[in-house]
Amino acid sequence: MSPLLSLVTWLNDTPFSVTLREGYYAFPIIETIHILGLGFSVGTIMWVDLRLLGIAMRRRPVADVIGQLEPWAIGGFVVMFISGFLLLLSEPLKCYTTLAFRIKVVMLILAAMNVWYFHKRLPRDRSQWDRQMPWRAKMVGLFSLVLWLGIVIAGRWTAYF
Amino acid sequence: MVFVRLLPMSFFAGCENTWPGSWIRHGQWAFAVTETLHVMVLGMLLGTIIVMDLNLLGFGVRRQSAAELASDLAPWTWSALALMVITGIPLFMSEALRLGKSGPFFYKMLFLLGAILIHACIFGRAKSALGIGSGLGKLLGALSLICWLGVALSGRAIAFPFLLHFGPTP
Repeated sequence: MSPLLSLVTWLNDTPFSVTLREGYYAFPIIETIHILGLGFSVGTIMWVDLRLLGIAMRRRPVADVIGQLEPWAIGGFVVMFISGFLLLLSEPLKCYTTLAFRIKVVMLILAAMNVWYFHKRLPRDRSQWDRQMPWRAKMVGLFSLVLWLGIVIAGRWTAYF
Repeated sequence: MVFVRLLPMSFFAGCENTWPGSWIRHGQWAFAVTETLHVMVLGMLLGTIIVMDLNLLGFGVRRQSAAELASDLAPWTWSALALMVITGIPLFMSEALRLGKSGPFFYKMLFLLGAILIHACIFGRAKSALGIGSGLGKLLGALSLICWLGVALSGRAIAFPFLLHFGPTP
């Protein structure tokens, strides 16, 4: 048995995990919070992506759109991460064996790398972007949009398979 | 309240027998694909709604006026809503009898109707009467968020009916 599988099996039998899984209210309540967080995080991230791609809010300065939405995207992501981690803890073995969940984790890591690239590898001064959007920034927006759509799909499919 | 008290049973049975209804119920991938589309568009819809409501309440995108934001967001909100309805109706048809008897489903539709009316009001008035942080703007923004919270909660409660069951644990 691989070390990861032993860890997952152990987690699956911890009292905390069993309580989350077998409790009447825990799972649906955490899941509802997870979905509400989705609106705040994916909903706001999507606007930043669409602005970077020049598809939506074209008349508003890029730096304005990013600066004003970022705190909400981060706040929503924190809610998503905590509630998602609890959902994972409630059925570790099921998540481990589900292909959709494995794909979701890979896409989350790629999305994190995308954000890191955006903040560390692209110029901090975004005032020039309103005249000429650098293609690398557009790519970041496209990757983010595709990855988050994929993450939502894979998340939903974790429940089916 | 449930819909089966308002509409004849034959309506719900008829819905299940239409081709979209039976396709989703019997197809191997149909339900999963349609519901995934529904949830994907949900992210888009909630995103446009939340950004607009927060603006009215004086949070988030504040440097743009409600009128500017409404003109940016309205086409996205309405097209996302249209996609929600287009994917939602076949999902309803596939289990019309169960949903017709579901209390949470009735409240979801009620909240949804309220949410749509409030948003039509917001977009209609944004051009003239709604300033950021104005009394009316705050009221409409808060009502809209509450309605969508109601849609989300009662929507989840369709799958977990006890979420809206107040009383001893069934």
